[in-house]
Amino acid sequence: MRRVFAIACFLAGLLPAVAFASGGEEGGLISLDKSLIIQAVNFAILLWLLTKLLYKPLLAKMDERTNAIQKSLDEAQAARAQAQKERDEFAAKIQAANAEAQRIRAEALKDAADEQRRLVEAAKAEAARLVAGARQEMDQDVRRARQELRQEVADLAIAISERLIKKSLNDTDHRRIVDDAIAHMGQKN
Amino acid sequence: MRAQEGTARRYAKALHMAATEAGAGEATGRELAAFLDGLQADRGALEILERPWIKPSDRRAAALALAEKSGSGKLVRDFIGLVAERGRLDHLAAIIAAYRDLIDADLGQARAQVRSAVALTDTEKARLSSHLQAALSKRIILEDSVDTNLLGGFVAQVGSLILDGSIDGQLARMRERLARGQA
Repeated sequence: MRRVFAIACFLAGLLPAVAFASGGEEGGLISLDKSLIIQAVNFAILLWLLTKLLYKPLLAKMDERTNAIQKSLDEAQAARAQAQKERDEFAAKIQAANAEAQRIRAEALKDAADEQRRLVEAAKAEAARLVAGARQEMDQDVRRARQELRQEVADLAIAISERLIKKSLNDTDHRRIVDDAIAHMGQKN
Repeated sequence: MRAQEGTARRYAKALHMAATEAGAGEATGRELAAFLDGLQADRGALEILERPWIKPSDRRAAALALAEKSGSGKLVRDFIGLVAERGRLDHLAAIIAAYRDLIDADLGQARAQVRSAVALTDTEKARLSSHLQAALSKRIILEDSVDTNLLGGFVAQVGSLILDGSIDGQLARMRERLARGQA
């Protein structure tokens, strides 16, 4: 508005110069007479009309445009802030996901290590059990073999003894054996 | 086998009671032994008497005829008839053994079955009987036999008591010690 007023003042100040210039010579652009007042009034009306019909809508449009731009800028700023916020949130989520993944990985590694240790211990225990079983079985086999060997040796020795005794005993021996047995029975009594 | 012994013991006890009342304990034992000898000698009669499809009355009649033939008294004949009727003639040997044990117990005596590699002399029998009598505090009736399977010595059995004075027994004990790893 002030600019309009300044332009009007500038034009009003310019009028005397124009009037003087026209007064010096016949047939100038502006004549210093009553028509000047009418022209001034016309100019004022024109100025008012221009102001009313063009300048104000233009200013309103410009304000509206300015506001729209400002709003767009604000929205862009908000969007940027939102985007930044989302980016931050996303980054936080990624970080959290990374931390979770790290934790899961560490846990999985720990579980795997525990499982491996458990399997190794189980394998060791199984191996020890197998070894103990094999040793026990071997001991049993050895004991059985020894027993069988002793039995065979005993059977063989007794068989040989029986054969030798049967061949070597005569009637005197038989009598002596019976006497000894009866005497032995008497000692027990 | 154990059931047969139990059955035989019941029959023997019943006969023993009847014979003791009649005062013919030993004679009854002898008659029973004579009947058993006769029955075992007559294999055909024994087989017929042991057939399960022969009627009990027929079995009894056949057994009574055999008992009479062997010279058994009335008590023994009746007993044999009862045993045959009930199909227990296969128990007769066990019944006679149980009856003999009861009579021996009455008389305070015991029978010693002695198996020896060679026949025992009278002196040896007397010494053995003497030792057994001292050990069991009973009069001993020695029933000796030669067992050619024995290498040497003898084995005496009185009831459930076994006295092993044989080389075979010594060798068997030695075999056990060797098998156990004991020298």
